[in-house]
Amino acid sequence: MAPTMLGVVLLVFLLFNWVGGDPAYVLAGKISNQEQIDNIRRQLGVDQPYYVQLGIFIKQILTADFGASWSTNESVSHILVTRLGPSLTVLIPLLILVTFIAVGLALAVAYVRGSLTDRMVMIVCTVGLSISILVYIIVFQYVFAYKLGWFPVQGWGNDFWENLIKYASLPILIGLTVSIAPNLRLYRTFVLDEINQDYVRTARAKGVGENRIMWIHVLRNASIPIITNLMAELPGLLLGSFLIERFFSIPGIGREVILAVERSDFPVIKAITVYVAFATIITNLLADLMYKAVDPRVQLK
Amino acid sequence: MTFRVLRSAAIIALLMFSATPSQPAMAADMNKVIRDVFPAGETGFDPVAGNDLYSGTIIQAIFDTLYTYDYLARPSKIVPLAAESLPQITDNGKTYTIKLKKGILFNDDPAFGGKKRELTADDVIYSLKRLADPKIRSPWVFLVEGKFVGLDEEIAAAKKSGKFNYDSKLPGLEAVDKYTLRFRLKDTDYNLPYVLAHEPTGIVAREVIEKYSESDGRTMANPVGSGPYKLAQWVRSSKIVLEANPNYRGFTWDFVPQDAADQKLVAQMKGKKMPQVGRIEVSIIEEDQARWLAFQNRELDIMNMEGPLAPQAIADGKLKPELTAKGIRLDRIVDPEISFTYWNLQDPVVGGLTKEKIALRRAMAMSYDVAQDINVIRNGQAVQANYPIPPGVVGHVPDWKSGIKYDPAGANALLDRFGYKKGPEGWRTTPDGKPLVVTLFSRPDSLGRQQDELWKKSLDSIGIRMDVHKDKFAELLKLEKQCKVMSRPAAWIADYPDGDNFMQLLYGPNTGASNFGCAKIPEYDALYARTAKMPPGPERDKLYQEMTRIAEAYAPWRLTISRYRNQLIQARVEGYKKHPILHAQWQYLDVAPPK
Repeated sequence: MAPTMLGVVLLVFLLFNWVGGDPAYVLAGKISNQEQIDNIRRQLGVDQPYYVQLGIFIKQILTADFGASWSTNESVSHILVTRLGPSLTVLIPLLILVTFIAVGLALAVAYVRGSLTDRMVMIVCTVGLSISILVYIIVFQYVFAYKLGWFPVQGWGNDFWENLIKYASLPILIGLTVSIAPNLRLYRTFVLDEINQDYVRTARAKGVGENRIMWIHVLRNASIPIITNLMAELPGLLLGSFLIERFFSIPGIGREVILAVERSDFPVIKAITVYVAFATIITNLLADLMYKAVDPRVQLK
Repeated sequence: MTFRVLRSAAIIALLMFSATPSQPAMAADMNKVIRDVFPAGETGFDPVAGNDLYSGTIIQAIFDTLYTYDYLARPSKIVPLAAESLPQITDNGKTYTIKLKKGILFNDDPAFGGKKRELTADDVIYSLKRLADPKIRSPWVFLVEGKFVGLDEEIAAAKKSGKFNYDSKLPGLEAVDKYTLRFRLKDTDYNLPYVLAHEPTGIVAREVIEKYSESDGRTMANPVGSGPYKLAQWVRSSKIVLEANPNYRGFTWDFVPQDAADQKLVAQMKGKKMPQVGRIEVSIIEEDQARWLAFQNRELDIMNMEGPLAPQAIADGKLKPELTAKGIRLDRIVDPEISFTYWNLQDPVVGGLTKEKIALRRAMAMSYDVAQDINVIRNGQAVQANYPIPPGVVGHVPDWKSGIKYDPAGANALLDRFGYKKGPEGWRTTPDGKPLVVTLFSRPDSLGRQQDELWKKSLDSIGIRMDVHKDKFAELLKLEKQCKVMSRPAAWIADYPDGDNFMQLLYGPNTGASNFGCAKIPEYDALYARTAKMPPGPERDKLYQEMTRIAEAYAPWRLTISRYRNQLIQARVEGYKKHPILHAQWQYLDVAPPK
């Protein structure tokens, strides 16, 4: 864990200092002189040698205190806490729905593998996969929100249920449309790997019902790669939803990342990158624990 | 006995009433809501620290400044806001005496200990001093630095000690009494009222700043002003809700129409107690489609149709009929801004004041087709900028005939005449036979790419080889301040509606600050130094015209365009007319209650 985090820290630090630009020149305003810019650089600490800045960065990680945003003065911890809720309001239902729908459909089409239904579903998935999320967002927002008026075009309220039902529905629908196709194809392969195994034939020979074979025997054995995929997707989903958050004005973490990059707001970029790296490590650990839960043969060392 | 007690009580009550500013009756109807939109996030609402248009708009709605602009007058006209009247200017424009309105109240806040808090002259002085505090590192320090007697010395002392002394009495910033201010300037300056109308000089209360200030002295999240609105809710970079300030003194809508188009607006609004609208909801929607659909879906009442979006709603400068049929209105003005491409006058290739260098710059300027810039890059949403002072700004000359015109044949002839010979591949060399390559610096965005292409096409047409240097905005600014940018497309929008704000862009001593191209033209500089001490008027305008001719002769830049601002307004909004300088206009509007 520590070497991974150190690698992330070094990479973020190098990348920002290489391509990030000096924020003092933007923060100084329209009419500014070198003395004012030097004053800002001193206050931000970007005039320090690189090794000192790196030391400060490591200290911030150890104390979990990343200070305040350079452009808004809002504390980074407050940014993370307040932006996480809206992102999760969209992502948790999305993840649950995608997983259940994709797994269910994968089992169904794998069961009728080679049939016209299977082939049609795969064609639809391939076409669906080939279309960018941006197209889905633009078309769905135009058709379902503007033309049909089923959802608001954009917005976010103060009440959790209002947000979930009124504002998050269309983003979740788009997320489902985008995510089901790749997940379904992947899970179908996992299921097909299992469906031809000897234990399935044995179960059938013993007279076990098809539903039980698919939902208990096959699914349990196909769960390990499904869990791997699910857990690997989790941290990326948090940041990858920035397009949905921007188009639907959802004050989430993905939108904040883009804003921080646009403003060269290094404290925010640092904190989010470190936490996402940390979340990736944790979800991998969780995945290992879940392997053990679904398959007692797995030994944790 | 009873009578005497009653009389004493009445006298005491009367004294208390006269000593404490009265609570004004609020005209605003909290059921009236305007839903506005910003296309980019705000940063915060400290007047001295807000450095973007959107933060500035909210700051303007929450804080009073000493002066503001008449809502309908064009060109923009300064009128009193927290001040009682226009300043008394004496000592050849070096001393300003300003009387404050009595009874202006800040919005209630725990910082005031449950009491009503009146705005006084000390608050104005404190607010202006904050601009100069090095700890706050205000991007607006240039508004006060080098201006008020004694302030620069105070800034120097603060840099040394690390603490700005807000209690020191400065000769340049004097509170004569509770309601009287006297400003003494180091030099003649007739533009001070514009500075005092600019939102960075918004008046704050010291108790509030001291209660809420962050580690760097800024107070971005707790704006408490005496303006028409107060901050009710803020979801950063997502939603800002303002509500009418119950302590606001109000005003009666009584503006004088300037043209026939204003008559309807005046008929709707005249005599109303303002503000009428109790609640302002501002959404931040970055994506064009989302903004446009939300407006069409009546989720927004006001929206600016920027360049790429404009063709969706506007054809031939007019609103499309299907939108007009819905009662939507278009309010279209030319922004008080200029876009230009400058050449660095200190650059060894394109800089210098020798005849062949002047010829090179003039030829490049003549090769650029501004009409294509307007039609292709700006979607027709701009006008050609011929004069350095744009429309709506004092000193603008509407029918100015520029000495620089699109003329590639003339440009080629000029280069031939001054020895820029074409080689076998068709590219020109410098008069001393070296390869001639001009580098255009630009941002890696779509506008930057389009500008690169048009400039490449232009310079190709006169045989000049062009390279493009792409860099991040912050890096471009850094290189620019070091005079290391050979040429770059840039823009300047008015801080205040006076020609000085634009003519200073070529003033030599502003190199490293706002003189992007590091121009040092002695004749221009001498005239600018004279105009800086003159009040607006025909005499100064004449000098501005001379300076413009000098700039055309030396060609430190190619003026290109000024953009249109296309405001779309839903039928339910009354009283809207886009002001070129004011950002926050909600206090001048009325709206039908939502059905």
